[in-house]
Amino acid sequence: MAIITSPRPGVKRFIGVDFDFGALRTAGPRYWAFVVMLLIGLGLGGLAWANAMMHGGVVMAMRDAYPWGLWFVNYMYFVGLAAGGLVVYASVQLFGAEQYRPLSRLAVLLAGVFVLMALLGIITDMERPWRAVWMLLTPNPTSPFIYTGSAANLYMFVCFFDLWLLITHKGGDKWAFRMTLIALPLAIYLHTTTAFVLSMNKSRELWNTAMMVPIFLTSATASGIAVLLIAAYIFKHFGILELSAKMFRSLSTLLATVIIIDLFFLLVEILTVFWPTSAKPGHAMRFAEFFTGDYAFAFVPVLVLGITAFTLLAGRKTRHLPAIQITASALYIVAVFMKRYSLMSMGFAVNPLGTHASPYAPSLTETLIALGIVSLGMLIVTVSAKVLPLVETSHAPE
Amino acid sequence: MIVIDTKSFGSATRRERNGGLEPRAAFTVFLVVMFMAIMLVGVSSAYAGRSSTGKLAFYPCVNCHPVTIGVDGKPTKPLPVDLKKHEIVLEVHDTLGTDDKACLACHDDPSRNPGMLILPDGSLEPITGNVSKVCQRCHFEKYREWEAGIHGKHESKCTSAGCHDPHTPSWIYIAALPPFQGTGLEVRAVSEREPFTPLAGPPPAPGVLSPLWLVIAGSLGGAFVIIIIGYLILGGFKR
Repeated sequence: MAIITSPRPGVKRFIGVDFDFGALRTAGPRYWAFVVMLLIGLGLGGLAWANAMMHGGVVMAMRDAYPWGLWFVNYMYFVGLAAGGLVVYASVQLFGAEQYRPLSRLAVLLAGVFVLMALLGIITDMERPWRAVWMLLTPNPTSPFIYTGSAANLYMFVCFFDLWLLITHKGGDKWAFRMTLIALPLAIYLHTTTAFVLSMNKSRELWNTAMMVPIFLTSATASGIAVLLIAAYIFKHFGILELSAKMFRSLSTLLATVIIIDLFFLLVEILTVFWPTSAKPGHAMRFAEFFTGDYAFAFVPVLVLGITAFTLLAGRKTRHLPAIQITASALYIVAVFMKRYSLMSMGFAVNPLGTHASPYAPSLTETLIALGIVSLGMLIVTVSAKVLPLVETSHAPE
Repeated sequence: MIVIDTKSFGSATRRERNGGLEPRAAFTVFLVVMFMAIMLVGVSSAYAGRSSTGKLAFYPCVNCHPVTIGVDGKPTKPLPVDLKKHEIVLEVHDTLGTDDKACLACHDDPSRNPGMLILPDGSLEPITGNVSKVCQRCHFEKYREWEAGIHGKHESKCTSAGCHDPHTPSWIYIAALPPFQGTGLEVRAVSEREPFTPLAGPPPAPGVLSPLWLVIAGSLGGAFVIIIIGYLILGGFKR
């Protein structure tokens, strides 16, 4: 077993991990300016949540037509972003993709933080969050929320436990491998059950398609890899991690592959919906809103940004350029968020009797709560970048 | 609807018996299969009881059209020659066509077969018969749900034309249960055989409450964030 020791002052050992609090003292003013910015976001989120607790649902834009709002968009989105970390981590452990090993700790940290953010979205949406315990005590097994909610909780703990194993090297590669065998099916289960929340709604024809599940998996993986790639560049820029150009090239190739599969699934769904001999009036009418209706502003960019991102990464001569990789990743991250937003909103935009509801736009309270959750997630990663030993160290396998 | 093919059950049991099963085992299998068959028939019957009654419950066609068919299969009392055509405004079913074309999508030519509707297989159904079959031509999915007792199963008299106005299906003949505050559904409910009067739409949803203090806090926070981002960008990045 390798023991991590540090002679530097300010290092506190807790649960076998050396927390380098001394690094915070040496942090520059810009680091603290960034932290202050995140604290402002967190404070605004806290105020907004307090407002929601005081006044109830009237401060949210969720009305009869839209029982779900921005929190659910973010839940789908953050759960998806968590996928990228696990794909990279699992590639190292299961398939020997050693080029990704330096990213392992960052990948698992991001995965855990994103799931935490997703769960916080659910908690803050509850006007009586202390009643959440009843979901555990009296679960309704016919509701997919039971499965996705419990999976997200488990997945978050598995991610943070994985991170602890990676940092402390407890159990060595054997335990890391075993944890991957647990985490990977759990991640697939989590993303699948999240898709089932939508696809098992018979009355919402837009969602009621089995294709929703693979689309969720590919969108999640693509956006997760994209956000991991950008985070890796940031960590490399600030000298936290030493990452090779080969690793980035490999990651961007993987990203391009998943993006084209994601776009292909979307195309298949669009064709099935609109093909004259297979089109069902209700489904086609709802789907048409994506292209010509109120939500075209959100969905058409999904296709444009997605195709642009793939085109950028498809060129062999330019794929290795950091600017290209970062631009393509950023485009796809935005595209998947807009896809999640339009998917959620559009599902409710036409009710089962065919009546249209005006487009959903989150209220100030919802927006600030989401901002607070994002700030908290970024704050955890920002502090972890200083305090946690995220650099993968070599160790003798046990 | 669950269809039980009792012949195939019986033949399967015979095959098993001929295949060399012990008589007692074969009898047990027979009993189990019979029990399941009875249960399934019972369930399907229960659902059937909730679905079509085969009556045009609310639409008052026969008030003006006392259509009866004689033993020769022809109408005993043809419509008056000088009877004016209907002038029904189709709100949704205008997609079926314009003028007579829209009518003839469901009704057979009244000069040839008055009071007859056209079924998907081309056969005719009296206007006083099971009108739901006509709706099935286009609304086959809803028909299947309704047939299974899923759609409208709580309405004892529910037939396609009994609950919905056949010409404007969004007009639904149901008794509005007070308080009808609306849930965003565009249901225009009228009671039985009363002149149609659309209900008022659902009340507008209450506006989103954003307290002034939160707006001010958000604005101040946003301004600080913009200043910090400017500082980070213009000052350069350093760990």
